[in-house]
Amino acid sequence: MAASLSGLLKPWTPRVFLVRWSRYNPYYLEPEVRKEAYSQPESELSAEEKEQRELKMIRPIKAAASGVTSSVFSDPVLSKFINMMMEHGNKVLAREIMTQTLENIKKKQVEKYHKAPEGQKEEIECNPYTIFHQALKNCQPVVGLESIRKGGKIYQVPIPLSDKRRSFLAMKWLITECRDNKHRRTHMYEKLSQEVMSAFVHEGNVIRKKNELHKMAESNRAYAHYRWW
Amino acid sequence: MALHRLSFRLRATVCHVRTLHTSGWGQQQEAVAVESEPEPFSVFRTQETDPACQSEKHLGQFYTLPSAHFRPLFPHGLPYRYQQQVKTFNEACFMVRPPALEVISYLKKADYSKPALRYLFYGVKGSGKTMSLCHAVHFCYTQGWVVLHIPDAHLWVKNCKELLPSSYNSARFDQPLQATTWLRNFRTTNEHLLSQGISRVKSSSDVVGALMKDLRLQSSQPGADFRLVVAVDGVNALWGRSTIKKENKSAVDLEELTLIHNLKKLMKNDWTGGAIITTLSQTGSLYTPKSAYLPQELLGETGFDSMDPFIPVSVPNYSEKEFESAYLYYLDRKWLQHPQSRTEDGKKELSFLSSKNPSMLDRICGFL
Repeated sequence: MAASLSGLLKPWTPRVFLVRWSRYNPYYLEPEVRKEAYSQPESELSAEEKEQRELKMIRPIKAAASGVTSSVFSDPVLSKFINMMMEHGNKVLAREIMTQTLENIKKKQVEKYHKAPEGQKEEIECNPYTIFHQALKNCQPVVGLESIRKGGKIYQVPIPLSDKRRSFLAMKWLITECRDNKHRRTHMYEKLSQEVMSAFVHEGNVIRKKNELHKMAESNRAYAHYRWW
Repeated sequence: MALHRLSFRLRATVCHVRTLHTSGWGQQQEAVAVESEPEPFSVFRTQETDPACQSEKHLGQFYTLPSAHFRPLFPHGLPYRYQQQVKTFNEACFMVRPPALEVISYLKKADYSKPALRYLFYGVKGSGKTMSLCHAVHFCYTQGWVVLHIPDAHLWVKNCKELLPSSYNSARFDQPLQATTWLRNFRTTNEHLLSQGISRVKSSSDVVGALMKDLRLQSSQPGADFRLVVAVDGVNALWGRSTIKKENKSAVDLEELTLIHNLKKLMKNDWTGGAIITTLSQTGSLYTPKSAYLPQELLGETGFDSMDPFIPVSVPNYSEKEFESAYLYYLDRKWLQHPQSRTEDGKKELSFLSSKNPSMLDRICGFL
């Protein structure tokens, strides 16, 4: 068995290559998408980076995913949000909705900016990206609840959440809130922009949901020692 | 009264933008201060708001439309995204570009005792044909001409909700809804020159026809003190096909529509004392391929023969200087918010992604 395993760890490609859900041989290396990595001159690299470069010249590289770009405007958080919004693989539509949302937020803020008197202009935040990121941060819960079974009964125990889980929950709540609890004849970008703008100022249904979760966790503090990890 | 408030607000923003610029754009100020009259705004703006006084040295610069002119001149006729931009930025700015300047110079020098000259703006999608047309119309308005602006001829040949048989000529069809909206907008534009009432909806298409005939005859008279400009957007609709169907599901021929019939009579250059400025448009046109943008392809044989002879004016995408100017304008109006868009790399990427097409640049900068 050991012999066959080590025999597999060499450059090979299967005869039939599945495109969807394809699992690469671990021999393949991740692609480097950032432009800055290629503009560094030889002298600035440390020994490890030089080794990495040598390795990349020999080993095969995985194909880059289609959602990843080397554009200066690419944002991983935004890409994640677009993927979560996507349905039936329609990334074009999801990205269109996202861009319309950002444009809508910016339009409202810039209009407010141009109509505001001189003293209040600095307070108005016009950048839709900062507003979006700040709104997501505001929506992230600090603790989550986990159902733990002890002595035949199930208790809701407060547990710490990892960063990934927290940002996932924030994005999920935002999307489900906009899909379910708004008037059906408004466009998604309109609903999203309203919800993001209210989350930016700590208002709205998503913030309310986060606060309710926090309250529940606070009330169940006594069961916190049921957690064993 | 709302107009006064808008102009006051505009004046306030103008003064405040001036102070913002003197504090922030220090480097440019030093360079400019050498001139006798330092411009308070930056390089991409010009103070010359009168199209008659604009010349080659203003190419690529933005001039602000006075708010008193904006409401009467453009109740219709501007692209939708541009109208939203005007609302957001609280000002209407046009860029001075070569095609519009060329047509304005011809309009200044033309002999108006000869038959009307026909100008045709053509170019790829989103290159700025409608905006050039609106610039030329603004010039005519400032000169005191009567403006007959049809915002989009394609709207008259498709999606017609009401089609009535014409009272005047039984073979033809009327479109009361489109005619009334157009008459209302015409009245807004030319209120200061004419005084006519538009009340009855049913005969509105005939009213339109009578109005056009009247204006044509009046401007042709040698003693007339006014000139007529006929501005039509999407003129290739007049010689294309229509999707309107009669009750027995047979297609309506374009000759059977009163509005189109009267408009075609206007397009013929048998009248004097004015000009005809038109634009081609593939976007709203019916049964034309997406890649077509040249006059021959979009007008078809009949259209080209009827429009012949005309002066074709090509409207290209932005040049380097114009792109630079548009980029600076968006920066100034706080429209480009992404931190990376202010870097050199971001600018190069914008230029590449939009391939310097005005409408693509506008769409991309919308979410950045």
